[in-house]
Amino acid sequence: MFRGSFVRFSADTKWCLVSSPETSKVDYVLFQAATAIMEAVVREWILLEKGSIESLRTFLLTYVLQRPHLQKYVREQILLAVAVILISSGNPTVQTLACSILTALLSEFSSSSKTSNIGLSMEFHGNCKRVFQEEDLRQIFLLTVEVLQEFSRREHLSAQMSSVFQRYLALANHVLSWNFLHYIAMFESSQNVLLKPTESWREALLDSRVMELFFTVHRKIREDSDMAQDSLQCLAQLASLHGPVFPDEGAQVDYLAHFIEGLLGTINGIEIEDSEAVGISSIISNLITVFPRNVLTAIPRELFSSFVNCLTHLTCSFGRSAALEEVLDKDDMVYMEAYDRLLESWLTLVQDDKHFHKGFFTQHAVQVFNSYIQCHLAAPDGTRNLTANGVASREEEEISELQEDDRDQFSDQLASVGMLGRIAAEHCIPLLTSLLEERVTRLHGQLQRQQQQLLASPTSGSADSKTLDDLYEDIHWLILVTGYLLADDTQGETPLIPPEIMEYSIKHSSEVDINTTLQILGSPGEKASSIPGYNRTDSVIRLLSAILRVSEVESRAIRADLTHLLSPQMGKDIVWFLKRWAKTYLLVDEKLYDQISVPFSTAFGADTEGSQWIVGYLLQKVLSNLSVCSSEQGLADDTVQLLVTLVERRERANLVIQCENWWNLAKQFASRSPPLNFLSSPVQRTLMKALVLGGFAHMDTETKQQYWTEVLQPLQQRFLRVINQENFPQTCQQEEVKQEITATLEALCGIAEATQVDNVAILFNFLMDFLTNCIGLMEVYKNTPETVNLIIEVFVEVAHKQICYLGESKAMNLYEACLTLLQVYSKNNLGRQRIDVTAEEEQYQDLLLIMELLTNLLSKEFIDFSDTDEVFRGQEPGPAASRSVSAADVVLYGFPTLCNQYYKLITFICEIFPEKIPQLPEDLFKSLMYSLELGMTSYPLKIMSSEVCQLCLEALTPLAEQCAKAQETDAPLFLATRHFLKLVFDMLVLQKHSTEMTTAAGEAFYTLVCLHQAEYSELVETLLSSQQDPVIYQRLADAFNKLTASSTPPALDRKQKMAFLKSLEEFMANVGGLLCVK
Amino acid sequence: MADEIDFTTGDAGASSTYPMQCSALRKNGFVVLKGRPCKIVEMSTSKTGKHGHAKVHLVGIDIFTGKKYEDICPSTHNMDVPNIKRSDYQLICIQDGYLSLLTETGEVREDLKLPEGELGKEIEGKYNAGEDVQISVMCAMSEEYAVAIKPCK
Repeated sequence: MFRGSFVRFSADTKWCLVSSPETSKVDYVLFQAATAIMEAVVREWILLEKGSIESLRTFLLTYVLQRPHLQKYVREQILLAVAVILISSGNPTVQTLACSILTALLSEFSSSSKTSNIGLSMEFHGNCKRVFQEEDLRQIFLLTVEVLQEFSRREHLSAQMSSVFQRYLALANHVLSWNFLHYIAMFESSQNVLLKPTESWREALLDSRVMELFFTVHRKIREDSDMAQDSLQCLAQLASLHGPVFPDEGAQVDYLAHFIEGLLGTINGIEIEDSEAVGISSIISNLITVFPRNVLTAIPRELFSSFVNCLTHLTCSFGRSAALEEVLDKDDMVYMEAYDRLLESWLTLVQDDKHFHKGFFTQHAVQVFNSYIQCHLAAPDGTRNLTANGVASREEEEISELQEDDRDQFSDQLASVGMLGRIAAEHCIPLLTSLLEERVTRLHGQLQRQQQQLLASPTSGSADSKTLDDLYEDIHWLILVTGYLLADDTQGETPLIPPEIMEYSIKHSSEVDINTTLQILGSPGEKASSIPGYNRTDSVIRLLSAILRVSEVESRAIRADLTHLLSPQMGKDIVWFLKRWAKTYLLVDEKLYDQISVPFSTAFGADTEGSQWIVGYLLQKVLSNLSVCSSEQGLADDTVQLLVTLVERRERANLVIQCENWWNLAKQFASRSPPLNFLSSPVQRTLMKALVLGGFAHMDTETKQQYWTEVLQPLQQRFLRVINQENFPQTCQQEEVKQEITATLEALCGIAEATQVDNVAILFNFLMDFLTNCIGLMEVYKNTPETVNLIIEVFVEVAHKQICYLGESKAMNLYEACLTLLQVYSKNNLGRQRIDVTAEEEQYQDLLLIMELLTNLLSKEFIDFSDTDEVFRGQEPGPAASRSVSAADVVLYGFPTLCNQYYKLITFICEIFPEKIPQLPEDLFKSLMYSLELGMTSYPLKIMSSEVCQLCLEALTPLAEQCAKAQETDAPLFLATRHFLKLVFDMLVLQKHSTEMTTAAGEAFYTLVCLHQAEYSELVETLLSSQQDPVIYQRLADAFNKLTASSTPPALDRKQKMAFLKSLEEFMANVGGLLCVK
Repeated sequence: MADEIDFTTGDAGASSTYPMQCSALRKNGFVVLKGRPCKIVEMSTSKTGKHGHAKVHLVGIDIFTGKKYEDICPSTHNMDVPNIKRSDYQLICIQDGYLSLLTETGEVREDLKLPEGELGKEIEGKYNAGEDVQISVMCAMSEEYAVAIKPCK
């Protein structure tokens, strides 16, 4: 209808806008009129007279200015029309203005956090956005492309012009980063938006000229780091194009091929600027992540190889630059970021390699792997710590304990490099072996020389720490890479030998001499090359043995009293590697593999001499470390973790307990003598855990008896001897006595940690004896908070690890013990005030522990592997629990951990003992209700976590059900639930919340509605009567009717409740966004 | 100082400190820093260079004066740890700024000062109000002070 000449048309639209006040009040008509003007301007620009354009522009602006109460979306649409007119003018200043208007509009329509908080409902906003993205946004994009096209054609740009250029580039970026709203999702994520436009964008984006334009633009401005950010970001967005915009796979292949051509054309043969690294890596990473493998392989073969070559080249080059950045200690590590991203892309690319022919990536993997190794080794083999002009720089910086270990900090990089190493195992495994073996020899020599020096002149300090440190750092990285190459880190499941490694070993097993291989493995004290026929050995085993050689040099240095020369870091690396290796390879289970390498099964298989030898060796290593590493917490930690790995699986434990060293360790630990008693308490606990786990290995009865006599009995005897002394109440504060008690309590925690389903019976009986005695200790040590906390901790651990396995009578015993503990605790703390005003969370450690204990006990109701039931209901931990509630609520809101624990506990109480709640003393009841309300209402204010809010909602259902059962309409709980109805109602209808929250809130809501039907109707009425818009009113009224239709009258049965929850989901989808205001 | 020692009871003869390897110290535990018994409020380790050995950095608060002390030492070294003893006594009366306390064995101690500040005021207040209260007393390195108050059970 608007196809007439522009003059006539503009008259029409103006008429629409101004003529009758009635018409112009209909927002929708105004909105459409503005849209029409804008389209007409674009279409018929050349036909228009300058004067009429200007008058139209002035008219539109005045119109907006004079009508401050225009609907926001109408105003914006008119401004958009103005912007379009301005852009077309060709005048840079005016164009800048237009660009600003457009940018502002874009921000307004995108639902990012930048959107102003003017009260628009989510639904309305969504609708506007949808309309906007289908029409106007595309229009803006096309305009922007045109402007950019024009700029890119010009030879020289004045400063002013280039600033306009930059603005439009930023605008293009803004459009391409648009988070397209598809009809499925109402709430969208805002991070890392990939370009997934709707179908209507097909023409605009698949036009190859558009893509080419952005490459051209980038080439033109790449030296301007600010603008390059935008142009690269635009390209990265285009590289992530996917979704309905592609009509078929063919179109996707064409697009990708075209894009890669453009990309290679842009970056091949240029020196990449620092500011380009991250952008280019995002482009590549997007291409590899977004385009499916079959599309990648469908592009011309030549092109694909060039792409992979380019990726290889860039990865190596970024890696080197990243190393330089580290040397220079730059704040902004752009190359490191780019390198990370490319390595991650490699992982994505090679993980699903069935689309590529075998060996396709091998050469590339070799290159990337080599360059990684090179960057991490010192000269002459590598370039570590070399600046660009080859000068070595080395600074001894202070490293705090908080700094992450390299193996965690660079775990992603190492995982990628390890994966590439597996692909190129033929090259990488021998490389690592020779690098390590060479360094072992050098390390050994260097340590010997320093020892000689020390013997010659004991006073002179170690002169050459640089050589040693360089060796340590080399070995450090080689071990990390080897660890990631040979094995995966899995949690819970049994890790498997990577198929590439298995294949590699099998492939060469015919050339391998098994005996020599075993000899290489079994003689870590000798140089590998001194063993005849050393080249005919299995390469994987030889790599392991290279690390055992490092380990052996370390152990010998410890024996020679050179510990002060050793690197604790390298010590950690060694035991970390051995643990990772042992989990995967030691006693390899042949059933898990289709085919197994003969060298592996001979060297590490079950019932082999090899595995027995290795177990003995590892145990020896653990002992050697523990004897010296009490002062190196991290090393001790990793060492005991290795020990746990050795005994946590029965098959390995069976071998371990055959070693004499194991028994020595047990005896030594039980005697509490140095050096083991110097270990930190967490390490001692883990050690105890390992010793207990080992006790469940397969032994004959007599041996088992003997073992427990060595390990557990001394603990009991020592403990009883101390506490049964007549003057114990007097001596209890003496330091030796306190230490004895502390060590026992720590050991008990360790024993509880070792609980498994098949040993719980024995361990529980053993621990129970102690628990009773521990309660007595509570009384004795009531003034020593450290000890009190430790005692409670024992109970917490026992409850945590064991309660789910306990049968009725045993569970009862444990409950009774805990109850007594709580009574003693309450008695000693009643009326206690803490003077410390500079309170930190950990000073409420005892409270936290008590709440944890209660939660663990209550968890029996939910997780129960025993065959008992209804033990607990007769008991009443209620009073004790409520005591901690009243103690806690004053202070804990500032402490997140305490706070979560507290809410977990009160929710448990509400769920398990709803009938006890109305019987609580008044002030306690009030503070409980207040806590619930606070938990719910603080969430939108971000004071407490969403978890707390959810817990509170979960607590409401049982409370409301309890009220329904009791039928006392004047009871305080009944009144409280009425208040909660309003809170939950508001939360569901008026506030933004997550889907998980809807489920929790829904259940609570339904029970509350059942309980307070009249109040619920009132709430709905009030809400409806406040609606002025009749359309919205009707929609809401219908929605509310539908919501309760399936459950009229609402009743507390499961079927109705489920129906209601389903309706609620529909309700939320339908009108959830309507009243929820951003 | 010397005359205060005369009045300490019970464990005279027990050494007032004992050595402990630095790495075995714990936050919230006790240590002697610059000759004073301190509660460890901060404890962190660091090392010089990636392959260096651990050093322990300690920050302690004098348990009696509240003054802050710091120290740093290799984690293999031994530090002195004060023997800390806590006892609860029943408050009998306050006289001339000194507390009269009834020990568990029925003896009366009159050598402990009414503490200054908040705690002192609270003790006085409760005492004047006729409430039965217990005073917690902490003893370390030959010094002894009242540190807490709670109602008698």
